[in-house]
Amino acid sequence: MRGHGFLLANYVPGTSLVHRTPLWLKFLLVLACGMGSFLVADWAAAAAGLGVLCGVFLLSGAGVRRLFRAVRPILPVLAVIGLFQWWQLDGPVAARIVLNVLVCVVAAAILTATTQVQSLLDGVASLARPFRRFGADPERFALTIAIMLRSIPFIAGAYADVRDSARARGLERNPRALVLPVFITTVAFARQTGDALAARGLGEADDGDDHEDREG
Amino acid sequence: MSIVFDGAAVRVAVDGRPEPKTLLEPVSLTLTERRVGVIGANGSGKSTLLRMLNGLVAPSSGAVAVSGFDTVRDVRAVRRRVGFVFTDPLSQLVMPTGREDVELSLRRSVRNAGERRALAEACLERFGLLALADQSVYELSGGERQLVALAAVLAVNPDILILDEPSTLLDLRNRELLRRTLAELDQQIILSTHDLDLALDLDRVLVVDEGKIVFDGGAAAAVEHYRVLCAVEAADVRGAGVRGADGDTAQP
Repeated sequence: MRGHGFLLANYVPGTSLVHRTPLWLKFLLVLACGMGSFLVADWAAAAAGLGVLCGVFLLSGAGVRRLFRAVRPILPVLAVIGLFQWWQLDGPVAARIVLNVLVCVVAAAILTATTQVQSLLDGVASLARPFRRFGADPERFALTIAIMLRSIPFIAGAYADVRDSARARGLERNPRALVLPVFITTVAFARQTGDALAARGLGEADDGDDHEDREG
Repeated sequence: MSIVFDGAAVRVAVDGRPEPKTLLEPVSLTLTERRVGVIGANGSGKSTLLRMLNGLVAPSSGAVAVSGFDTVRDVRAVRRRVGFVFTDPLSQLVMPTGREDVELSLRRSVRNAGERRALAEACLERFGLLALADQSVYELSGGERQLVALAAVLAVNPDILILDEPSTLLDLRNRELLRRTLAELDQQIILSTHDLDLALDLDRVLVVDEGKIVFDGGAAAAVEHYRVLCAVEAADVRGAGVRGADGDTAQP
């Protein structure tokens, strides 16, 4: 499997105010948006929140196109949810739900667009550090998230490859010709990744030689 | 630095067959040369042999030891000493960019973010990759990717470097670049390859065929042995194919 140009809307280098905001504050923003989506009952408030977040995203200099790219993958799902809620309940409720999901997605996009993966991992690792007394390994936790971030684009790329080769053989209408190869490719990829991590000694439990120096 | 195979064999259970399949017959070897190669057909057991060196494959019987550490019991000590480069760099580059992947290698040994960054840059610089450090690994050429993978593995300074068919996915120019890069490394190198030119650079070459080491010696003699072996096998296959076709037409 080669040549997947897919990557999640990720880091955009820059020095804007948003880039310089400490990571914990951005974490808090995402958390607050997640909580807010349960609490905000008014669609107009949700719309206002979305407006503000879009403003913050654009302030970071990442641009309108990136903003759209971050949101686009979930639009079909949101359309289905929105229509269903509209039919089941009413317009304002449907609007509120859809807007609240968008708020969360844009907040997450702000975080990933203005934070390098390494600092994100350092952040995740230090967040997980208090759980060490319960046997958690912060480094392993961070690594799991890194691999997840990388695997999603890979699977999307595998799907695109398989669809192309199915089309080349005139099998694009056969779901088995699409799903099965993607499934097999994904399992093979997981095994390769596992081997590669094992070979590099990554993801193993700590040896006990802990360094406690904190990093920014 | 020495690698010792002591009667190490690999067998795997196969569904629907009572007996396990032998991937590698018992091997007893000591590898001390600086540059060792393994050549042989696809599926002959090259990768299995290499994967035993850092504990990715455990011997079903016998043992493998690297610098005195057993690859099963002391697997962590072994992996700290043995770097492994896979054929497809994309399956081993875990991070979106080269810089991040090298930093990932260093995470366990260097906890300070600033130090880690400096060390990663020094490592990329060494292979002339610093300019590409922040590019997505998907945007790099095959040769650049292979070098990034190599840099990430060498960042933690292993004593021994294993490369599984490192030049298979590379074009001629990148193959030449890889060859030169490898020549400059201090590490003991064990590599498998289909690239016989690359094999000719090495101090000692093993020829593997159907799970057995059928030749062990100097590079030129090993390559010659392998060429003859392939020629004979190809002739056999063609002969059998022709007979098979005749047999088919004889059927009603």
